[in-house]
Amino acid sequence: MWVYEKKLEYPVKIKNPNPRMAKYIITQYGGPDGELAASLRYLSQRFSMPTNEARAILNDIGISFSKLLTIK
Amino acid sequence: MDQNQENLLKEVMAADFTVTDLMLYLDTHPCDQNAIALYNYSVQRSLTLRQEYERLYGPIIAQLTPSKFPWQWVQGDWPWEK
Repeated sequence: MWVYEKKLEYPVKIKNPNPRMAKYIITQYGGPDGELAASLRYLSQRFSMPTNEARAILNDIGISFSKLLTIK
Repeated sequence: MDQNQENLLKEVMAADFTVTDLMLYLDTHPCDQNAIALYNYSVQRSLTLRQEYERLYGPIIAQLTPSKFPWQWVQGDWPWEK
């Protein structure tokens, strides 16, 4: 279950805006090998894990990856 | 968001980051007593900081905090706004 928290996972300060770099970084969010895809993959894989540790770590890493999307 | 609020929010975020990191570690090392002690300490610290922040500046999680009038959740201070 998801709950929004009015804060960031990690604070980032952009000193020098760089549109070309931004274009690249956005693919790391939403692209085929980006955070969003990875997050959903972990959250799907957790269903077929055989041990408590494996289920927990895939659940929590899946959530952590989705939190990276809110870093700004 | 003034400087004091930003600083306190950063402390909350740093405390929570520690909790998250220890949680991920403990998922695969559930029998590390030192790590559990550090985790328990960090959770307590995060709770104290959150309560202080919410008392001064409003809710971090909408559904867990009682609201003043008018409805506080919509009153700005989103983390991407400076």
